Formats: sequence, C-alpha cells, structure tokens
Amino acid sequence: MISSRLSRRGFLGATAAGALALTGCGTGFALQSGDGTGSTEGRLSFTLWAGEAELAAFRTVAERWTATSGVPVVFNVVPFSEALTGVDANLASNRGPDLFRVTYQDIGIYAAGGALLDLTDLLPGGFLQGFGDAFVSAVQSEGRVYGVPHHTDTSLVLYDTEALAGARIPTSLDDAWTWEEFRSVAAGLPTAEAQFAFGVNWQLAGAYRWLNWVDQRGGRLLTDDLTGPAIDSAEGRDALAFTQAFFTDGLVPPTTSTKGSYVDELFTTGTIAMVFAGDFLLPTIDPAFVSAGREYGATFLPADERASADLGGNAVVATAQSVNPEAAADFLAFLSDDEQQALFCEQATVLPTRTALLGQQLDYAVRPDLMELFVEQATTITPELSAQVTVPQFNAVNSSIVDRLEQAFLSGDDPGRVLADLAEDITGRLA
Amino acid sequence: MTTAAPAAVTAPVPRPDPPRRRRVSRDSLAAWGLLSPNLLVFGVFLFLPLLATVWLSFYSSSGFGPREFVGADNYTELFGDSTFWRATANTGLYALLTVPVSLVIGLGIALAMNKPLRGRGVLRAIYYVPYVISGVVIAVAGRWIFNENVGVINRLLRSAGLDGVPWQSDAVGAMGSLVLISIWTKIGFVMVVYLAGLQSIPKEYLEAAQTDGAGRWQRLRYVVVPLLKPTTIFLVVLGVIESFQVFDIVYVLTGGGPGNATEMLVTYAYAEGFDARRQGYAATIGVVTYLFIAVLTALWYRRQRAQEADL
Repeated sequence: MISSRLSRRGFLGATAAGALALTGCGTGFALQSGDGTGSTEGRLSFTLWAGEAELAAFRTVAERWTATSGVPVVFNVVPFSEALTGVDANLASNRGPDLFRVTYQDIGIYAAGGALLDLTDLLPGGFLQGFGDAFVSAVQSEGRVYGVPHHTDTSLVLYDTEALAGARIPTSLDDAWTWEEFRSVAAGLPTAEAQFAFGVNWQLAGAYRWLNWVDQRGGRLLTDDLTGPAIDSAEGRDALAFTQAFFTDGLVPPTTSTKGSYVDELFTTGTIAMVFAGDFLLPTIDPAFVSAGREYGATFLPADERASADLGGNAVVATAQSVNPEAAADFLAFLSDDEQQALFCEQATVLPTRTALLGQQLDYAVRPDLMELFVEQATTITPELSAQVTVPQFNAVNSSIVDRLEQAFLSGDDPGRVLADLAEDITGRLA
Repeated sequence: MTTAAPAAVTAPVPRPDPPRRRRVSRDSLAAWGLLSPNLLVFGVFLFLPLLATVWLSFYSSSGFGPREFVGADNYTELFGDSTFWRATANTGLYALLTVPVSLVIGLGIALAMNKPLRGRGVLRAIYYVPYVISGVVIAVAGRWIFNENVGVINRLLRSAGLDGVPWQSDAVGAMGSLVLISIWTKIGFVMVVYLAGLQSIPKEYLEAAQTDGAGRWQRLRYVVVPLLKPTTIFLVVLGVIESFQVFDIVYVLTGGGPGNATEMLVTYAYAEGFDARRQGYAATIGVVTYLFIAVLTALWYRRQRAQEADL
C-alpha cells in the first residue's frame, strides 16, 4: 500500500517534472520565432518561393544591399504551393515577415486586408515612373503603392521545329497568327493516337490566361470601374466558343482543361506539338529537348482585334507588421533598380518590368534568342487587363473561371450559358 | 473490570475507514493527473480549433485583416450551393465504393494470412505498407499509373491495340482511379484488424461446426462472419469517417476534376479557404462535415451498445 502510494506520488512528481520540461520546450519554441519568418529589429526577413537560379540571384542582390546598409536579409524559402498559406498564417498570428514575394493577382487581397506596408511615401520620389504602366497598375490599390514590380512573365507559343516544318512561323508581333490561321495550322498538324496539336497553360491559378483570348477579341472580364462582370458579351462568347472548339475538335488533350494537367511536360514528351508556355519554363524545357536531340522554337501569341498577353511574374511587398519599414522600402527600391533587376532577369530567365531594360539586350542564361520574343510579347500586356486581374477578389474570381471553363471545355455547355453563370459568380465574388 | 480491560486491549479493533471525502479527493486527484496530459493535448489541438472553426463559420474572412460578422449567411449559402451538394454526393459515393470492396478483399487476405503459410510475415507487411505510406506519395505514384496520356495502364492498353481509359477527362474514369488507389491503401489496415478478429474466434466453435458437417463455406458464412460482426461494424464506421476526411489522394490525383466529378467535402473546403480565400465559408463546410461524421459516430456507438446488450 505504502509503495503504491509512493509510486503514485512518484508518478505525479514525474508528471509535474514533465510539465516543467514542457514549459522549457515552450521557451524553445519562443526562441524559434527567430527562424526567419517573423519581423525582428536589425534584419529583414524575406519569405519567398524560388528555384535555384532565382534564389542565387536574390542572395547576390541582398548581399550587395547588406554591404551598404549593414542590415542582413534572412531568406525563408518555401514551396510555391505553401508560400501564401504560410504567409497568411504568420500574418494572422502577428508574426508576418518584413517582405514576401507575391503574384500580381494576389496583391489586391493583401492590400485590401491592410496586411501590406503602404510604400507610397517611403519609396524614392518618381520611383514607379521607371516601370511599365501595366506593372505600376498591378502594384497599386486605390492610388496607393503596395509593392515593387520585381519581374514579369508572359506566354509565347513554343513549337516542335520538326512538327511545324511546313507552317508559316510569324517573326514579329505585327504578323502574328490570326485566330483562324492558328487554328488552321493546328488542325493541319499530323497527329497519332494520344498525340495532339497543342496545349494551353490555363490550368488552376493560370486560368486567368484564358482572358488573353477575350482581350484579343476586344472584350473584358470586368466593367471599366471594376465593380461588376462584363464577360457575358459577344466578345466573351466568341472567345469561349473558339477555345471550346480546341477540345471538341480534339486539338488539345482532354486532360489539359482548367483543372487538368500542366502542359509543359506534354510538350517535352512529344504528346503535343505546340505549347503555350511562360518564359520561366525555358530552363526546364530546354534541357529536355537538348537531351532528346530535338529542336524547338517560339512565336507570338495569336492575335485578333489586337495582340494581348497575360500578366505573369511577381512583385515583392513589405508587410504592415514589419518593424523595419524604412529598411524594407529601401531594400525593395534597391532590389528593383535597373542594375539589380537586370541581374535577376538574366540569371532567372524572366522578363524585366523596368522600361529602361526593355530595349536592352540582356545576357539570358537560357535561349536568349527566344527571350527577345518574350520581351516583345510582354509589351502587349495592357494596363486595362492588368487592372482587371489584380482586384482584391481576383482569387475567388479565378476559382470561378476554373470551374466555368471546365464546364464549357469538358461538358461542352453552351458558351452563352456558361458565361451567364460566370457573370453571376463574379457578381457574388465581388460583392 | 480488571479482567475485562486486557480483553478490551487485545480485542481486534476494526480500523476506521479513511473519510470517504478524503479518499475520493485523492482518487480524483490521481485521475485528473493521469487525464490532464491528454485533455491538454485534446483541448489545445482539437477542441479549441473546433470551437474556433464554429466561430469563424459566422464570419466573412480572408484569413487576415478585418472580419465581418455575417450571422448564418454562410450556412444559408451552403445549403443552396450545388457544388457543396455535389461534393457531399461524391464523398458518399466514394465511401460506398471503397469501404465494402476493401472490407471484402481485406477479409479474404486475412483469411489467407490466418493459416500457416511460408513467408506469412513478409506478405502481411507487404499488404500493410500502402496504409502507412503518405497519401501524397501514393497519389503521385497513382498519377504515373493512371495518367491518361503517358500513364502505365494506358500505355499497356494501347500497346495491346486497345483504347486508353479517360482517367482524367471523364467523370467515371477519374472516380475509378481514386477508388482503385484508395482500396489499395485501405486493404492492409482492414486485413490487420480482421486478422485480430479471426484470432479471437475460439477454435472450438469451428470444430463443433465441422463435426456437425459444415463445409468450409458454411463455417465462414454461419460462424466466422457473424462472430466478426463487431469488427465489421468498427471497420465500416472507421472507413466511412476516413472517406469523409479524404483529401491528399484527391488533391494530387484529380484535383477534384473533371468539372466537380471528384470534388470531395474536404477538397472543396480547401479550395474555398485557400484558393478563393473565403475562410469563413470553408469553416462552414468543415462544421457541416464534422456534423456528418458526428452523426455517423453516434450511430456506431448506438449500434455497438445494442449489440453488447444482446450479448
């Protein structure tokens, strides 16, 4: 009995000791708050996703800035799919980083939620005048500046040289394929079983790239004041009917709808002869073609009433929780000046947003000949389209685009009905 | 007086019980001491998030910044949301297709593994491995197997001169790929639980049935299966609950497509919460899913209790 009591007491004592030990662990957790995610005085924390080349470029730029400012930059590199979820969690727990990388389509919701540092008065005077209009529009919300347009991406049509040997390949924006010519080229390509003419990069978060077709036709997703849908229009229906036929006529793999597989891999494996692809994919596509002894080229996106291209790429923003707002703004200005942006674009194979760099020959690491075409195509990104895809609710709008396009592409639903449904969705999303 | 006194001294005196209140207090202190670590873990990681989810379901929130109280609006929207009902139907269909089949196959393997067999331990481990591997890894393997364009199965079919199966572009094919992969992962666990159930069946029952002339099938049908009923109920309920929580395999293998053909309750909640950034609405989907699971669990307990009362 006595020993039993003793052992019980011993157990309770051990439990108490364990509780103290756990308290100690708690201290350990507290110490880990300096792991690079939270804003702390005397350094800048930067949450981002990045490939090897991108990270190396970011590190080079940060080291240059630290050499003059004396403030170290701590990188917290996370996978793209988790980046913003992690940032959201840290912001919600008041442990947001000083800086984070963000797509142009995501800036609006952070700005509207009060999560971003207002850089309007912290950046050097006239700083944004050095960027293209579409990019300035993308980092602004209600006239205030919430980030710097770090780089852009856009799409071109990459093609297997052998497969398109007999086709006319446009060499300038002015003689880009018309919609009908593009369709004719695609329909004329020899296909075997499980082989298709082309694939379009409108999967999931990239569904907004379908808006290129709407814009090329002269239509809009949203009204001029960005408060309501404008997609249920003749131009919208034309664009949807034209792109829907890619599926119904068997020109694209049925697996490449908006909820389907990404298309670049199908291009490298030879399943499709042409692919709509962003410049950032060249470092992946190029080695695959080289190792297979195949060749590929690039040409401009098809044009209709006008040429148009998607606003890809990323901005870098500072959070309102940053305890180093001046240092954060200074780093952002340095990161996106002419010299640093040129270095980043060359190393990471992405496109500049600074107008001074658009006319320059950058020394790209992969296929510099094709990068020139991407730069030219990027000049067709319009401020109007840019403003539509950066409204605060665009994530939710994009989700509706994914669902409704899938409905049209795979179920063959009437374009008019699909766009009426999409317009209704957008009204709800914007409310 | 003098004679009585020693007797009084030597007579056994019953030791008075410790006051009941003191004993109860000490026992309950020990009980709380033992329970508190688990209660702490459950409280912090289960009950608090659950309450926070219920609370969030009454707000419109993007996950950060100001929240707006919207009352029951999220619930009203949910009950009129066709995608939610499609996801509920898909989840039910998925449970209906995966649970019974995995039970039948798992029982068959357990019956085989319950006999003396060379390499039985290795075979048990092989069947169990898919259950302990990460669902994401399983789904990535599934993508290579079921890819409509370059997957193993369709390549084999085409090399045999047959048409490939539309695993991604057709609703039936997509759900089929999910069901096949899920059954593969579930049968290991089912086998282990049934194996434990089989080993608890007294051999005398089977011998008596054999003496009465029952064949192998009759022994299985009239002795083994009825005695495994509690195990089967446990596996059915657990399987259905798991089905209502399925996420990783669907997210990686089909992404809920084509259309909403394989959208499940949890993948829909994720899409609304993190893609559309409607965390209040996503919390509402989570609360309703929780209620579905709670009702199923309550039914299970009720059935178990009734069965125990019968015994």
